[in-house]
Amino acid sequence: MMAKVELNTYAPEFTASDFNGENISLSSFTNRMNVYLVFNRGFS
Amino acid sequence: MRQDYQEFVELNTEIIVIGSEKVELFKNYWFKEDLPFIGLPDPEHIIQNLYGQVVNLFKLGRLPAQALIDLSGMTRYLHYGNSMMDIPPNKDIIALIKRTL
Repeated sequence: MMAKVELNTYAPEFTASDFNGENISLSSFTNRMNVYLVFNRGFS
Repeated sequence: MRQDYQEFVELNTEIIVIGSEKVELFKNYWFKEDLPFIGLPDPEHIIQNLYGQVVNLFKLGRLPAQALIDLSGMTRYLHYGNSMMDIPPNKDIIALIKRTL
């Protein structure tokens, strides 16, 4: 079973490269912006 | 999503879309659709698995999921879709942000 996030707990941190090779870390938004994560079903 | 992005920004909310596609496909789609928000290719499903996005082979892929994270890093909203079409409308998320964040 895959890990699932729980409400009202800290969101799991991640760092990944966007398609321009720039690293995006969830923690870089802390105290700066809310984040709306959208997990796609796919483009095709 | 594109049409509502500015409203998210005005509510101090960034949108990050995470998908299984490889980098080149992601990049091509992003430029073709001229999308203003962040796109993260996740072809090895690291973030998708971390957040528990469900794979449903009978429904031909990963079911949609969404999470809203506040300024402190806390998860304030979660939605795991039951079907490929089970995606909350942006207006509902915007209303939630206005109400709670």
